Amino acid sequence: MEILDFLAHGFAVALQPEHLLLALIGCTIGTLIGALPGLGPVNGVALLIPLAFNFGLAPTAALILLVSVYYGCMYGGRISSIVLNIPGDEPAMMTTLDGYPMARAGRGGEALGLSAVASFVGATVATIGLTLFAPLLVQVAIRFGPAEYFALFVLAFATIGGVTSGSFTKSFIAACLGLLLGTVGIDPVSSVARYTFGWYELYDGIDYIVALVGLFAVSECLLFLERDRDKATASLRIGSAIPGMRRSLACASTIGRGSVIGFISGVLPGAGASLGSFLSYVLEKRWWGAKGKFGEGDPRGVAAPEAGNNAAAGGALIPMLSLGIPGSGTTAILLALLLSMNITPGPLLFEQQPDMVWGLVAALFIGNVMLLVLNIPLVGLFAKVLQAPSWFLMPVVTLVAFVGIYSLNNSPFDLYMMLAFGVLGYVLRKLDIPTVPVVLGLLLGGQMEFNLRRAMSISSGDWSILWSSGISIGIYLFAVTLLIAGLVYALLISKRLK
Amino acid sequence: MPISTHKTLRSLGASALLGLGLAVSLPSQALPIDECIAPADPGGGWDFTCRSVGKLMRELELVDGSVQVTNMPGGVGAVAFSNVAGKRADDSNLMVATSTVGVTQIAQGRYPGGADTMRWLAMLGTDVGVILVDDESPYETLDQLLEAIVDDPASVAMAGSSGAGGWDHIRALRLAKAAGLPGNQIGALRWVQFDGGGPAVTQMMGGHVDAVSTDLGEIAGFIESGDVRVLAVLSEEPLPEPFEDLPTAVSQGYDVTGYNWRGFYTGGEVSDEDYATMVDTLKTLYESDEWKDVAAQNGLVPLWRGGEEFNDFVRESIDDVEAISREIGVIQ
Amino acid sequence: MSAEALSDHAALGDRIAGAVLAALALGAWWHAGSFVTGFMQPVGPGVFPRLVSVPLGLLALYLIVRPGLNHRWPGAAALCRQLGVLLLLGAYAAFLEPWGFVPSTLVATVVLMRLFGARWRQALPYGVLLGLSLYVLFEFALGIPLPDMPGLSV
Repeated sequence: MEILDFLAHGFAVALQPEHLLLALIGCTIGTLIGALPGLGPVNGVALLIPLAFNFGLAPTAALILLVSVYYGCMYGGRISSIVLNIPGDEPAMMTTLDGYPMARAGRGGEALGLSAVASFVGATVATIGLTLFAPLLVQVAIRFGPAEYFALFVLAFATIGGVTSGSFTKSFIAACLGLLLGTVGIDPVSSVARYTFGWYELYDGIDYIVALVGLFAVSECLLFLERDRDKATASLRIGSAIPGMRRSLACASTIGRGSVIGFISGVLPGAGASLGSFLSYVLEKRWWGAKGKFGEGDPRGVAAPEAGNNAAAGGALIPMLSLGIPGSGTTAILLALLLSMNITPGPLLFEQQPDMVWGLVAALFIGNVMLLVLNIPLVGLFAKVLQAPSWFLMPVVTLVAFVGIYSLNNSPFDLYMMLAFGVLGYVLRKLDIPTVPVVLGLLLGGQMEFNLRRAMSISSGDWSILWSSGISIGIYLFAVTLLIAGLVYALLISKRLK
Repeated sequence: MPISTHKTLRSLGASALLGLGLAVSLPSQALPIDECIAPADPGGGWDFTCRSVGKLMRELELVDGSVQVTNMPGGVGAVAFSNVAGKRADDSNLMVATSTVGVTQIAQGRYPGGADTMRWLAMLGTDVGVILVDDESPYETLDQLLEAIVDDPASVAMAGSSGAGGWDHIRALRLAKAAGLPGNQIGALRWVQFDGGGPAVTQMMGGHVDAVSTDLGEIAGFIESGDVRVLAVLSEEPLPEPFEDLPTAVSQGYDVTGYNWRGFYTGGEVSDEDYATMVDTLKTLYESDEWKDVAAQNGLVPLWRGGEEFNDFVRESIDDVEAISREIGVIQ
Repeated sequence: MSAEALSDHAALGDRIAGAVLAALALGAWWHAGSFVTGFMQPVGPGVFPRLVSVPLGLLALYLIVRPGLNHRWPGAAALCRQLGVLLLLGAYAAFLEPWGFVPSTLVATVVLMRLFGARWRQALPYGVLLGLSLYVLFEFALGIPLPDMPGLSV
């Protein structure tokens, strides 16, 4: 098996001592960031991207560091979800339903330990699935021409409703805004300056890292000023994580079901981790019916969404790596990461850069093991971070982001741009318009446009080339199906809320 | 501010030397090149030029410290060009990577200034154009491909890493013209731009385009693996090993060559002394065995033109490309 | 405040956003007309921005007609703090190069901590500590050159 060789090689790379050290550092920093209220994996990784560049790390090392930060943030988010009832990102919302009641009952440590094991199993299932299924997609890859790529991007944006949990109209508005912002700068095809209004600094386009940090970190800081500043953090008894580890044996079947459901929903482009954790929780609740105490601190209510969430995050790597479509907010950030390292995910990535792909898979897996090991002794310590005063934490976060962005290009213009995006992100979030699609539009817009223009060059301007192959028609049909399914899902959710 | 103090001192020193009438050029260590602008994203040809040359300069101790590579993408080099012209015209610590592709942009008036805006340092090597098709393509020879193009230009879709009217496209069109394609038919031959030679070849292997015109260095791997069939290389003489068996266009009766040299320019207000020193530094680098190795590994043929000779060569190239572009209709 | 009043207010926010976005879409469409299509390009530089501005404009109009949920806007005190932070960070960006990293950062950290609710006796020592650790972290640990203080450089 060629794939097993690659995977073994990936592990060999990821297990080098300096890479293990980076994974340890990344997991620790990530857990600390993720544990801060309101800072989830998306903001956390966004914050650290500029820093990682400045380390001057080799691409694989930087990837391992950031992936560990990503996983660390995911886990850190559990700490604030379970202990404080503040989820760091959307998929973590389901965990609060039973995790917080457990913490209130003094079983916070148990819930955290359980969550670590369930996450680990979920991620392991996803890694195995990734190894088995991703190469299948690669076989059709070479048949993707510009028209088919364009269809893929349409699919990515048609399913954007699944990435976020907000209203469909607003998700699409955000995506269009991102696509439009992505056209700013000199058009590489015709060398025409678009929407630059004579500003030399805009010729190179809007740097999506600047936009990312502005939209997530700066806007978070502004929101914090009105939301949490005066709120006192309640201190709770956390307890040890060990009973949770033991408890997870009892929840083995729950974790297994959650992992499989999560993985499948993760593989569907655009469905993402939110759907994974939601489905796992809801189905598990159905499974036990009146026998469960879901919503009142049932351990299975923590195990199911945690396994589902992590399996979905791993599953979402398949469309992200092999098609370039991020299935969730966090894979969108990983996509940004890869692009900034000059690695373009797409059908040929597995063939052209097997080292990178399997190194990433191995890094994800090792990050998980690292977290499992790290969390047994450190749960109590991490939970303490939450009690540090916010007047100290928030300025630290803000200024690290600030100096990190400045050092990218030594350009004050980038800082003004970041602040502008911070205000934009704040207003969008106030209006309940999701910000992830804006970043996605900015990230994917360029390639979407060029593939459209390439397809039109091939057809000499005949638009029918866009729907002239079986693959592209199939992709459009799939997009329509997912769009309808998403609308139905949104409708069901809003019914349930009433 | 450290940089400006440094600069003032240096220009004072330079003018003092001038005043004394010393005609000797400074030793190369006195004026180290410390920055190379690659006017593109990391990974492309210009980035490679900056990084490999910068690394060699440090290893050969031609510079004091290391040479910092700054990526300044945008407008096929136009952003870096206008930045240097506007802000750093007298910075003799700076060089900018360029190539035939950049000069083509100047010839077509797409940079904010002409060749006189800059001082042209040297070229260190050259890549050569190739025309290739998929190994299962119906076109077995260059004759067959060009015949098909002349018969019905709309039947063939070609691709490369430059835009329509860019250097890859011009090379393909010159071949088509040499085969007898009338000037008014040029618009019918389809041209598709990809992000580089590699993606263009991959798309050709997937059957989305029929033929690719690009640089040999970018796609040498595909030739070695046997996935593509080379119909012509656009050099005057057959290439050295391992590409000695590839047929030239000249040997097949089409008098078309198309090189893509790699070189550097610096700001237009750099003094003659500094300019001469920088050219000397590059010359020393060029003469090293290390450069020959790096060039060979990347499919470049080492070729030196420096100082005034290079300056004249760039101007000639610009006139040539301008004439061709006008003939083909890229510019009016 | 009654629930009805809140939802009216929310609708207003979405309607204003819809109007701004619709204007943006219209402006983008109009400005795209000035992009010159180059040699042999069936699809020029203006087509894609126009393709995007159409759904943006339509969705923005829909937002005006059928506004959705909004979050509560901040009160005057919070708004002042937010403006304060933005002004401070803007000023920090502007003074970073002329003043040098250390002085501008020290001022920025102390004032930022005050804005986040610290007392002077908390903000001063911890602000100085944070500013200096950032300097050490970036300048020495990460090796990134930061702007020097004028007059201090050689």
